[in-house]
Formats: sequence, C-alpha cells, structure tokens
Amino acid sequence: MDLEVEAYLRPPEMDMPPYPPKVITLATGGKMVVRQATREDVPTILQAVKPTIEIERDFYDIVGVRVYAELLGWYRHRMRDMFCLIGQIDGYLVGQVNTRAYSEKLDISLHTLAIERGLRIGAHLFAAKMEYSFEYLGREEVLITAESPIGFRRWMIEYELELREGQHELGGAAPYALTRELYYKHKDRLVAGERPVPDKLMEVAEREIKVVSEQDIVEKILGAKRRIKR
Amino acid sequence: MRPVFVAGAGMIPFERQDENTLGDILAGAGLAALDDVDLGKHEVGAVYLGNMASGLFNHQVSVASALVDRLALIPAAAERIENGPASGGSAVKNGVLAVASGYYDVVLVVGGEKMRDVIGPKATDIVAAMTHPHAEYIYGLTLPAMAGMFTRLYMEKYGVTREHLAMVAIKNQENGITNPYAHIQMKITMEGILEHPQSHINSPIIADPLHLYDCCPVSDGGAAVVLVSEEIAKTLKKPMVQIAGFGQATDTHTLAEREDPTELKAVRLAAVQAFSRAGLKPKDIDVAELHDAFTILEIAESEQAGFFKMGEGAKAVERGDTRIGGKLPINPSGGLKARGHPVGATGVAQIVDLVWQLRGEAGENQVEGAKNGFSLNFGGFGNNVLAFVLRRIS
Amino acid sequence: MSNITAYKCKSCGLIMYPYHDRCLNCKKREFEEIEPSNNGKLLTFTIIEQLPWGMDERGRILGVVEFDNGVKALGLIDVEQPKLEMKLKRGWGTVREIGGVKVKGLIFEKA
Ligand SMILES: CC(C)(COP(=O)(O)OP(=O)(O)OC[C@H]1O[C@@H](n2cnc3c(N)ncnc32)[C@H](O)[C@@H]1OP(=O)(O)O)[C@@H](O)C(=O)NCCC(=O)NCCS
Ligand SMILES: [Zn+2]
Repeated sequence: MDLEVEAYLRPPEMDMPPYPPKVITLATGGKMVVRQATREDVPTILQAVKPTIEIERDFYDIVGVRVYAELLGWYRHRMRDMFCLIGQIDGYLVGQVNTRAYSEKLDISLHTLAIERGLRIGAHLFAAKMEYSFEYLGREEVLITAESPIGFRRWMIEYELELREGQHELGGAAPYALTRELYYKHKDRLVAGERPVPDKLMEVAEREIKVVSEQDIVEKILGAKRRIKR
Repeated sequence: MRPVFVAGAGMIPFERQDENTLGDILAGAGLAALDDVDLGKHEVGAVYLGNMASGLFNHQVSVASALVDRLALIPAAAERIENGPASGGSAVKNGVLAVASGYYDVVLVVGGEKMRDVIGPKATDIVAAMTHPHAEYIYGLTLPAMAGMFTRLYMEKYGVTREHLAMVAIKNQENGITNPYAHIQMKITMEGILEHPQSHINSPIIADPLHLYDCCPVSDGGAAVVLVSEEIAKTLKKPMVQIAGFGQATDTHTLAEREDPTELKAVRLAAVQAFSRAGLKPKDIDVAELHDAFTILEIAESEQAGFFKMGEGAKAVERGDTRIGGKLPINPSGGLKARGHPVGATGVAQIVDLVWQLRGEAGENQVEGAKNGFSLNFGGFGNNVLAFVLRRIS
Repeated sequence: MSNITAYKCKSCGLIMYPYHDRCLNCKKREFEEIEPSNNGKLLTFTIIEQLPWGMDERGRILGVVEFDNGVKALGLIDVEQPKLEMKLKRGWGTVREIGGVKVKGLIFEKA
C-alpha cells in the first residue's frame, strides 16, 4: 500500500465518544446485547450481510448491497465518520444499523438490517442508533429516508418525522428528520435497553460475533419452506 | 335433513406468501382436502369458497369460478361466500346445508385469503371497511379499536387483567410452535410482553388496552374440507367425523347500539343453536377452536358459548384449564393468535383442525381421546357469528 | 343545530342511531327525527396507535358516547385523559380526509 497516496484518500475522522453497550429483553424473554462494532468486526458482519443481497422481499437486496458497500467503505477507510451498532443474542449477530455523521450537528441515518424477524429487532436497533446520535454524540437532527415499506411506516409515523427539503445522501425518496425534541418526546415508548450489560452477557457477546449459515439467514428472512407430513 | 360428514380436510401453511397468488392459495388448500380422501367414482357437485375481500386485497373477483377451473371441477356449482371474518364459517355452513338437503352428495368448501398483497396499514383499512360507513369508518375505527373498546369494558366488569390476556397469547403462541401450519411459531414470555419494565416496547399498544401480542397477525393462507353424505362417508377408511350441528346469529352493526356492549349476543345464540342441533352440551366438548382475533375474545367467547360462567373464563386460563392437557383445551392449533388469520380461511381452518383432533391426527398438538369438538367463527365485531359442533362417530 | 340525526320509533320509543329501515325493537317504520343532546357521557373508548392507511397519526382516541337524551354514537374524543363515565360535550368537525375530501363527524370535548 502506498501510504502517501492512501493519506490523500482517507477521509478525516471526527472524534466520537463510544456507545455504551446495553441489553434489551425481547418478547421471547431472550436478551439482545446492543453494542458498537469496530472496524475489525466488519469482515464478520459482512458474512451475515452477504446472503441478503439476493433477497428481493422487503428490498433486502437494496439494503443488503448498500450496507455491504458502506461497511466495506468504512473498513477500508473510504467512508467518513460512520458508526455501526450490532445486536447479538447468545453471541449470534441478529442485526446491524449504521449512520454517518455529516457534521457535529447532523447525522445521516443509513441502514437498518435485521436478520432475525418477528422480534422487533429492527425497531430496537433503529432506536439504538437514534439514541447514540442524540444522547452520546449530541446531534441536533438525524436525516432519515426509507427504502422499504416497513421502514416507512415504522419510522415516519412512530417518530413523527418531519419532512425536509433537498435530498438524502442515499438519493432515494424524500428525506425526513428526527429532531432532538421529537427523539426525547418518543424515547420512553421506543427506546429500550438497560446498562450496564451484565458481565456474563457482555463476555459472550464480545468473545465472538457468531454468524449463522447463509441458508439459515435466508430462511430467517423469507420463512423456512415448511416440510409438512401428516 | 341428512347427516353431513367431513371426508377430507387439508390446509396450506399460514404465513406471508409472497410467492403464491390468491389462486395458488385456494387451489393448494382445495387439493390438500381432495388428496385427503379417496372419493372413488363420486364427483364434487358444488364448491363454496369463503373469502372476504379478494376484490380489495387482490383486485380479483369471481374467484370461485376461477377455482373450479384450476381444480378441474367443472361443471360443479361454485360460488364465493362473503361474510367478513366469518366467511369461512359461512362457506362451511352452506356446504353443510347443501349436503343435508340432499341436493349434493359431495361438496368442497375452501376458505382462503391473501391479505399481504397490500401493506399493513392498507390491510387495516380494508378490514375496517366492515364497520358502519358513516357512523364508524369515517372516524378511523379499526377492528383492533372495536376490540379495544370492548376489552376496556370487559376488564372493568369481570376483573379480567392484562395478565389474563397475556396468558392467552402465551398459551396460543406456545401451541403454535408445534403446529407446522401456524404463521407465528415463536415462544413469548410474560417477562418479555408484560412484566419487564420495558416490555411495552416489545408489545406496543395497538388499540389501548390491547397491545401487539393481544392481536392476531395479518396472514395469507387457505384451508378446505370435503363434505359428504352418510352413505359415502361409510365407505371411507378414516374415522367418521360428523358436523353434528351449526348455529349462526347476528347482532347490531355498530357497537354503540348494543344494549350491553360486553354481551356477545350472537356468540351466545349461535352456540346454543349449534349445541341443540347436535344434541350435545358444552360439557360434552373435548376440544374447542375459538376466534381469538384478540386475546379478550378467547376469554369472552369461552364464557358466552357456555363453557364457563361469566367472569370465569379468565380464571380458567389462569388455572391452565384451556391448555392442551387441561380440562377443556382451547385453540390447541394456536388459534388465530398463532395459526394466523387470513380472514376468509379461518372458519374453515378451525374445522380442519377439529377434524384432525377428532381423528387423532393432530400430531404434537393432539388432545388425547378427543371425540367432540366445537368451533366459533366471529364475523365483524361479533355481528355475525357461526358455531359448529363436530363429533366422531366410532 | 346538531349534525347527526337520530331516530325515535313512533310506536315503541326506541332511540336509534344510525338509521334503520325498521325499528330494531318492534319493526315499525315510522320514526321521529331527533337530535342528540349537547352533552353526554363516555361509555367506552380506545386509544388507537395503528390507524389505517392515509391517517399518519398516532394516539387517536375514539369512544362511544351516550347523550343525555339516550342517543348513542361513536366519535372522536378530543380529551387529554379520557375516563369512563366522563361528561362530554358534542362538537363537529373534520375527522378524516378520504381521497382528498375532508369528512366531518362528531368530535367530543370535555363538558
Ligand atoms: C397488530 C398489527 C397491527 C401488527 O402489525 P405490524 O407490527 O405492522 O407487523 P409487521 O407486518 O411489521 O410484522 C412483522 C413480523 O412481526 C410478527 N407479527 C406481526 N403481527 C404480529 C402479531 N399480532 N402477533 C405476533 N407476531 C406478529 C410477524 O412475525 C411478522 O412477520 P411476517 O411479516 O413474516 O408475518 C397487525 O398484526 C394487525 O393489524 N393485526 C390485527 C388484524 C385484524 O384486525 N384482523 C381482523 C380481525 S377480525
Ligand atoms: Zn319500535
């Protein structure tokens, strides 16, 4: 690697205080640890993202391919000021969310990708990244757009997002904004999690980010083809 | 009147079925029932199709004619029966009448709906179209909201608590795990949906006091039965299951006009009719499939159909009487809560599940030795209700 | 003037809303048109978090109100903290937009 050239290509980086991990009790009673991923975690996370790239349902393909590119860009220093939070149950990766800072005041919410469905994991992780932007990074506003109808309904109505002029970085539908005020207004209803994460849980989560097989990921998202005998 | 028997019963998994059209779902269910019986030289004379809103969900009408065409049942008589969420029950009833009257010896009843062609809030709107156009619909009244208003009063009057409601959801989702046809196959816990201080985020309010896990999901799916005369039933190999009686009753369109809004008059009347036609009593029933579109309904129906005294339904749930292995297992299939509720399919699916129970074919969800079964299909918000009593003839 | 019309059976006195072609009680067909009184009490209510398509809001409160003269009707409850049996007064206004058209209906406020 030509480090001299590399220095030109690498974006500058803002300082970001870390996201303190938390644990969410799910409807199953299961515990999901939500914590910040590091650059070094990216190759593992990408293993889980890869199989989603070919799933048309709910625009997983679009979201998957973009998340793949964003994470890779961040890993190889081509994506500026991005953070990624992951959800893990018993060490297994169940979803990721990522956001990019535009300025000290404004974050751009990128994607929410859940690979376990029916447990509201996407909603919990989305809430977690908003929590990070407002409560730890001190942003005034987060710009949001939706690429799937589920995302649209959830985010726009649940958080009373405000329509904004101009475009979102993803170049799709109109951008909406979650403001600091709206975040705090809806926080109690939408943002779950307890801190600190008990040592045991944290240890399992940190020891290894486990990823189920590609086929299992596809089945979790599409539903397994039922094999029924009677 | 001739006795009517269920000769074949079949279902396709309830879930979100993006790969299948409504036609695929109906044909799949129909074939599942036809494959369950060897009719020999007998032909299907008539087809009754329970479906609530193919026109709105799928932009397709005359679906019964399309179905006989796909199943090569031409020239059988065929029609779609629409009675809101009780369309399936109404289709079964029409099949029963057709065989009982002697007009037909073999009837195929199919119930099916494909609701997931539209996104959630649109499905909510289509379902809400059954409310009164200018006295209810215009306000944004939804079915969960009607159930919410009912629940508030029922809780107040009979001391039903959110714990009781959660117990119904937990039991039914647990039953759903071992039902391969169930839409929701996920264990939920009291901690996760009610006790944990943040559980309201997992189970958010849908229409207060009802939360997410008090509601059935929105599903695609189909179920079917083949009904035959006694003469034909006697020639078949499987245990004979008779539709011993049905009942049907209606109530006011708007909730506001009910004299006692906690009373489900149509449920009571339909059940009384079904029992008296069958010559059985609630205490004779070994297994029941009730219409738990909302958890409160399982409790309220279990009382108003005569299984428990008013106010005792919740206690029965608490004692575990309604679990598989309890005194009266209710919704061993998982009910609408877990099996799912593709509206037009539900009433037929309930009959299919009972037939499997009475034949001893219900697998892990089998209620041991079940001989008599009861089902209740609740249309509108209780303004058009069907009840069935099924009996195994040994 | 009220904006909804209720019906009182001329033969048995049953009060009905909305319209029925025959009396729900005695099946006779002659009714006196009546208006609901200005005030009533809240019989039951719900707070809806998941509204149908086209209604991008949360927390809408709907309830059934019994007017002092016996008419019962569903309406929008414009009250912060509704309680059963609460006294309400009748109002009228836009309750929903359907296909771009503003639809009016009953809106209740604290009496
Ligand atoms: C309660 C309700 C609004 C929830 O909708 P939602 O949160 O938007 O659900 P989503 O579409 O995001 O569902 C995502 C997952 O959550 C789960 N889920 C959804 N609703 C569920 C429910 N009620 N119970 C348990 N799990 C549910 C499913 O696993 C679903 O996965 P799927 O897409 O494979 O089916 C909806 O289920 C509903 O309207 N139910 C009532 C239907 C009704 O009124 N029927 C007529 C009665 S007569
Ligand atoms: Zn009268």
